[in-house]
Amino acid sequence: MSVSREEVLRIAQLAELDVDDDTLPTLAEQMSRILDYVAQLSAVPANGSVKAFVPGPDAIRFRADEVTPSQLAFGPDEFAPDFKEGFFVVPKLGQFE
Amino acid sequence: MSWETIIGLETHVQLRTKSKMFCGCSTAFGAPPNTQVCPVCLGLPGALPAANRAAIGLAVRGALALGCTVHPKSIFARKNYFYPDLPKGYQISQFDQPLATNGTLSFVSAERGIVNATIVRLHLEEDAGKSIHDRFAKATAVDLNRSGVPLIEIVGGPDLRSPAEARAYLLTLKQLLEYIGISDCDMEKGSLRVDANVSVRRAGEAALTTRTEVKNINSFAFVEKALTVERDRQIALVESGGSVTQQTMLYDSKENAVRPQRSKEESHDYRYFPEPDLPPLVLTPEFVAEQQSELPELPAQKRERFMAQYALSREHAAVLTASRAVAEYYENVVRAPADPQAAANWVMTEALADANDHQEQLRVTPAALAQIIALVKGGTLSHQAAKKVFGEVAAKGGDPRTIAESLGVVQVADTNVLAGWVTDVLGAHPTEVARYKKGEVKLLPFFVGKVMRLSNGKADPKLTQRVLEEKLAAPA
Amino acid sequence: MSDAKAVADRLVKAKRLNALLTPPKDLRKSLNMQVAAARPTGVLYGMPVAVKDNICTLEFTTSCGSRILEGFRSPYEATAVAKLKAAGALIAGKTNCDEFGMGSSTEHSAYGRVLHPLDKTRVPGGSSGGSAALVAAGAVPAALGSETGGSVRQPAAFCGVVGIKPTYGRVSRYGLVAFGSSLDQIGVFGRSVHDAARVLSVISGRDPRDSTCEDRDPLRLPTVPESLQGFVIGLPKEYFPSELDPAVRRACDRAIRMMKELGAAVREVSLPHTPYAVPTYYVIAPAEASSNLARYDGVRYGPRFNGATDLRGLYRATRGQGFGPEVRRRILVGTYVLSSGYYDAYYRRAQQMRALIAQDFRNVFDRGVDLLFTPTVPSPAFKAGEKLADPIAMYMSDIFTVTANLAGLPAISLPIGRVKGLPVGGQLIGQAFLEDEMIEAAYALERVVPPTDEA
Repeated sequence: MSVSREEVLRIAQLAELDVDDDTLPTLAEQMSRILDYVAQLSAVPANGSVKAFVPGPDAIRFRADEVTPSQLAFGPDEFAPDFKEGFFVVPKLGQFE
Repeated sequence: MSWETIIGLETHVQLRTKSKMFCGCSTAFGAPPNTQVCPVCLGLPGALPAANRAAIGLAVRGALALGCTVHPKSIFARKNYFYPDLPKGYQISQFDQPLATNGTLSFVSAERGIVNATIVRLHLEEDAGKSIHDRFAKATAVDLNRSGVPLIEIVGGPDLRSPAEARAYLLTLKQLLEYIGISDCDMEKGSLRVDANVSVRRAGEAALTTRTEVKNINSFAFVEKALTVERDRQIALVESGGSVTQQTMLYDSKENAVRPQRSKEESHDYRYFPEPDLPPLVLTPEFVAEQQSELPELPAQKRERFMAQYALSREHAAVLTASRAVAEYYENVVRAPADPQAAANWVMTEALADANDHQEQLRVTPAALAQIIALVKGGTLSHQAAKKVFGEVAAKGGDPRTIAESLGVVQVADTNVLAGWVTDVLGAHPTEVARYKKGEVKLLPFFVGKVMRLSNGKADPKLTQRVLEEKLAAPA
Repeated sequence: MSDAKAVADRLVKAKRLNALLTPPKDLRKSLNMQVAAARPTGVLYGMPVAVKDNICTLEFTTSCGSRILEGFRSPYEATAVAKLKAAGALIAGKTNCDEFGMGSSTEHSAYGRVLHPLDKTRVPGGSSGGSAALVAAGAVPAALGSETGGSVRQPAAFCGVVGIKPTYGRVSRYGLVAFGSSLDQIGVFGRSVHDAARVLSVISGRDPRDSTCEDRDPLRLPTVPESLQGFVIGLPKEYFPSELDPAVRRACDRAIRMMKELGAAVREVSLPHTPYAVPTYYVIAPAEASSNLARYDGVRYGPRFNGATDLRGLYRATRGQGFGPEVRRRILVGTYVLSSGYYDAYYRRAQQMRALIAQDFRNVFDRGVDLLFTPTVPSPAFKAGEKLADPIAMYMSDIFTVTANLAGLPAISLPIGRVKGLPVGGQLIGQAFLEDEMIEAAYALERVVPPTDEA
């Protein structure tokens, strides 16, 4: 199967990635090849009875409801790219967006 | 042409836990921004979730109270979307295998009587942080203290037929959740949030029509307004030959209007998939039974019991069971003991009015109220005097009898004293006495009133009446 | 106890490999402090352990080989790192890797490629190429790496060192920057099986912060066995295809002969779904990665690129410029396979195939096979640049390693000879949580196989 450039752009939008016009054709071509390659999975007889396999414990462990110290060696003001008056700051996003 | 409105509510409720859903940060409301955060709820590289037992327990209690089927195995899933207050770029939620499904919420509709609304599903998820748009001029401020607070989402079926029913449903749901103690359900604080799916169709038609989702209803006062505005918008649209498009509408309470969310910002492709950082949520029968045993008597059951046990009307029982605290208070007064009917009257009037003025505190202890009721019944206090005593006990505390005495409102039941007052009154009103004696017996309350005034309200009215009747019957 | 200066000198000497991302000055300063603070009673007292750059440390930056985390100092440390320090080990800097672990050659690092210690024109393998190269160069006795599809074993094989990937859930992932969460495990490199195993033993065991980590005691190290008497070693025929590099096959045959001489029973077995392992992996891993990498949005940490004035612009510029081409490719593929309308065809199918692959292993182990022996990689280290233009060719170098990740099983690669001077690795795949048996067999094989002899 082949992925169109429009489809790459739609997916890039979902993934919030800038894709520039120069790399778009190559990217579409590579994605098509990768998707073609993994599409061989659909050639396997679909067996609805096969349950997904997930490694790890069979059941979730419960944590006791206790407030614990935050484990931060230093605060967000030291790692945030823009931090003011205790807040992370991002470019405006209107209330009704 | 008449129209039918179809409404279904999706309600998000913060669970009352000490720590967050997947980390040990505090859930306390009102802390300085970004002070209740850690690697997990900040979405730092490499951090992983660990599920809070209490949150799961409270969610199960909610599901049981709504009569849902609680599934022995459910799956956490990631809901992927970008937003600055969503630190990981996905919300841990549940998707195709939720915690619980298929419950009922019964509520009273003004139009249709008792309605059994379907609860389609109830699932666990984590809250996002808060984006604050009015803090900085050209920027949005993000506070992640709320990020990771445990939530349940309760999805109701399209069973509501008017904005008023939506309000009644929501109030009943709030009452139930408060009752079982899993949330404080404070819409103003955001611990209860509601989105509504709304559509309209011509009365009598069964076909499904396009619905819209109404968001940003952030107070109980706005539920009915917002849904009315949206219903009216849809009806006007269809009547003018247009058609409703599926979209999200945001309610603006200042304008009392709805407007569509900008469509380019909507991304409905959430790419759900099972959360690989969390094994299946397996609930043992013991765990579910433990949660069941933690459930108190639910409001509806309590209401029925109050009617049967205390011979109360449905209306009175409903008022007294509206909150768990009031119901417990009432029963403690009765057990003190006090006459159930008198106790009901006192709780519904004086106690609730006082609480209403004093941050919902029931300030008079059940024992004190029972004593006040007993003093009235025994003739020591008039009803008026008792109200005074109640107010005093509420404000200052103390023993009702002692307070009654210090206020000087204890009724005088000594017939000698009463007889003196009666003689004075009869002597002062010879005309009325003459009329009475000619057969105008309806003047009796006039004399009682005069005695009461003369005694500064201390005279026992029943006894006064008896002494008056005796004296007036005697030959002049 | 090695002193801080000697440890640092050995690492700085290997500088030409571009395997270490920590600047020498920072390294020396931190090592001085660590030596002073190290617990003398710890079982790894004074042992320098280099750590892959996608594992969070307080001592050094954690950039995951990516521009999007350039200069990022984690405010917390990984459980594995905390356990190493508690055992007295020294955190000997951060090692270069393919960006977020995505690659098989350590050419996909924002900080330049790592050179193969024996041939600078070749790759050391990847994605934990920096860790492998440093151990191979003798700069450290052991290093932490991480695996999603073979990122420890494949570079261990290329560089001629020992690499262990434990059972999924054996080592806490808390503080390991996620790539494919259901596949990721921290792994260990060592000069010898013993060096690798004792580091693994220290970092293994329960951690309440990782819900996928099993509630088990740390791994107990086995003793070195006299023989392999009683062991049944399976040779999965799908791992010895006719097109296998003849020299790799010769090295494997020699190792198999030696295991037989040690008393092991060897039998051919079949894992029929093996051909589907790589496509299965290249659906599940990118799908999980697309979600795991959503948090790099320029809001809370890491640099911001371009003076974007609106939020979407900030996201797209940060992510578009912060991620390298291979990461972008995988995010797009992963987003695609999870998107509406494609989930069933790709992701659900891949999950089912993963179950069949795991079942293949169970079938073999249920029939009395203790361990499987295979080549680790189909060929020795390839030339730098050779597979860069062809993502699928690059993916194929994981063909013998991804299965253990998909099935969650432990596996070890150890050097079993050389081909024209380049190391060849042999792989033992064990049963879940039976690392001790696997390590026992590896001890025995290590003692007899000549690691540097031409096959």
